[in-house]
Amino acid sequence: MSNEPPADRSIILVVEDEPLLRMFASDMVEDAGYSVVEAANATEAVSILEQRTDIRIVFTDIDMPHGIDGIKLAACIRDRWPPIDIIIVSGKPFPVSAELPDRAVFFPKPYQQVEIIAMMARMGAIPSDGSARGA
Amino acid sequence: MTRYEDSERAAALLDLQILDTDAEQAFDDIVYIAAQTCDAPIALVSLLDGERQWFKARVGLDVCETPISQSVCQLEIDEPVLLQIPDLAEDVRTTDNPLVTGPRAFRFYAGAPLVLRDGTVVGRLCVIDTEPRPNGLTRTQEDLLGALARQVSDQLELRRVARASEKLAALQEALVEVAEIVRRSSSVSVMTQEAAEVVGRVLSVDRAGFGLVDESTQTIEVEPDWTAEGVTSIAGRHRFADYGSIRDEIASGLPLVISDVDTDPRTADDPSLMRNVGIRALVNMPVREHDETVAVFIVNASMPRRWANEELAFLRSVADRLEAGVYRHRLDQHQETVNGEINHRLKNMLAMVQAIASQTLRGVVDREPIETFEKRLVALSGAHDILMQKGWIEADVGVVAEATLKPFGFADRVTVSGPKVPLGARAALSTALLFHELMTNACKYGALSVPTGGVLLEWEVLDEDDKNDLIVRWREIGGPAVTPPTRKGFGSRLIRLGLVGTGGVDVRYEPSGLQAEMRASIAHLATS
Repeated sequence: MSNEPPADRSIILVVEDEPLLRMFASDMVEDAGYSVVEAANATEAVSILEQRTDIRIVFTDIDMPHGIDGIKLAACIRDRWPPIDIIIVSGKPFPVSAELPDRAVFFPKPYQQVEIIAMMARMGAIPSDGSARGA
Repeated sequence: MTRYEDSERAAALLDLQILDTDAEQAFDDIVYIAAQTCDAPIALVSLLDGERQWFKARVGLDVCETPISQSVCQLEIDEPVLLQIPDLAEDVRTTDNPLVTGPRAFRFYAGAPLVLRDGTVVGRLCVIDTEPRPNGLTRTQEDLLGALARQVSDQLELRRVARASEKLAALQEALVEVAEIVRRSSSVSVMTQEAAEVVGRVLSVDRAGFGLVDESTQTIEVEPDWTAEGVTSIAGRHRFADYGSIRDEIASGLPLVISDVDTDPRTADDPSLMRNVGIRALVNMPVREHDETVAVFIVNASMPRRWANEELAFLRSVADRLEAGVYRHRLDQHQETVNGEINHRLKNMLAMVQAIASQTLRGVVDREPIETFEKRLVALSGAHDILMQKGWIEADVGVVAEATLKPFGFADRVTVSGPKVPLGARAALSTALLFHELMTNACKYGALSVPTGGVLLEWEVLDEDDKNDLIVRWREIGGPAVTPPTRKGFGSRLIRLGLVGTGGVDVRYEPSGLQAEMRASIAHLATS
């Protein structure tokens, strides 16, 4: 377990249009000891990323209304914010025609929380001292 | 001689496919016999082709055709009787003919008509002498020349029959091939392109393709077509309006058959529309549904050609088969989309259930039951993925085992083997949960909880009397000594529900490791 002070814990951006699932994902991330920022769609996510530079990982759903889906969002992040790691989840299989960007992983929904948290740790995200569990 | 009979003759000759072919022994023999019989230096099989006469066989003459204006054979051609001119230099019809006045100096002519079975006269078998014969041929010579002319006609027709039956066989073979292409095709464009190639080759045309008609937009979408080398494709969207009066033809539902765009009344006004895309002859074969033209099979030729009835019948069959194929592909595609959508919603629903459960149990300090719950949910979700691939009808037991066990890792310590056995939707879900529980237990308490242990998952179909049973055996080896659980948890109860949720499970806690045998009838599994 890391002894980093809370201020240094990694910030995860959760992008999910379904409020219940967004709440669930946020709690999962927070319970694991990370800070969470929420966005209800890709446009919101992009404007958050434009405003702050401290996002470590973006955790996004694929199917979201209003134009940009999670795959386009991931491609955009890889292009504009190269240091950010990406976790993509979806109730659909990952589309055969699409390409997974570098340093992006895919999990089908429903996912096991322990697997997502383990992936965040593998990506180098730093949880706050003592509050993480399960990872 | 009328235009009509001329065109009948031209059509018959085209149909015989004899013009400009190589010499053939049968015809050469006949002209030789004719020359000998009539004691003449020259004998010819002369076919009257519009602007020229062409010789299928000849003795004593060094040219293979002459302009029609110099033809003696064409005189009185529509009278199917022997034509004799004792002295060509004296006869008003031939006295100025260059063949008579010139160095060839023809003087005597006798020609018997070549009459086909339908009565069409296509030319003459003639003998020519450079001396006049005031008495003409003898009666016997006349009879023999007539008999030989009938032999020529028969030879011509026999060749046509042979060619026609060869052609018919080739068309039938091509149709079988098209049906096969439609059956095995994976997409509309692959299907239409492969079929177009078969059609293009068997009909020796320059372009073949299949187009879907959209009446509402007055357009036709031509799928990827087949073209002969050097011919451009017409694949893509076309407006009817760009093709003159052809629009009405397509809408009417009758096949549009044009032998020559220069002379056909529907295109003769402006044949350049067609000629610009390399078309001299064409067939558009419509497919009708509910009194509407829904599709068209198109063939184009760069030279004028007569389309035979059997070719048109063939094109109709091809067009019908392709249209049915397109319909099937669309249904499949639609079904696939619907299946994908159902699965997507189901997955989202499972994710919501997971979220609600997780939020509800947020205060619970022991996280293990929640993780167990999630794992079961994910196992169930994985079984749905497999079922979706076959439209929620069935899943193979091996595929279910593989998908359920793989996420645990341990690929090198778990051996899975057995024949293909289809499971119905319910059986697939309960079997997936069953394997999941067995595997979870093995990892926690059983053979996979120590580095040396392993699992054998095997199944077989037992054939007994009048019923077949599937027997699935789970055997753990090399693990720690096992003892029966003291408490019947949900996991062990799930296991006891068996393959179809109605039991048939024998679990034994052998000292060597857990052994479970699960049994259900094949029929029950498939329909559950």
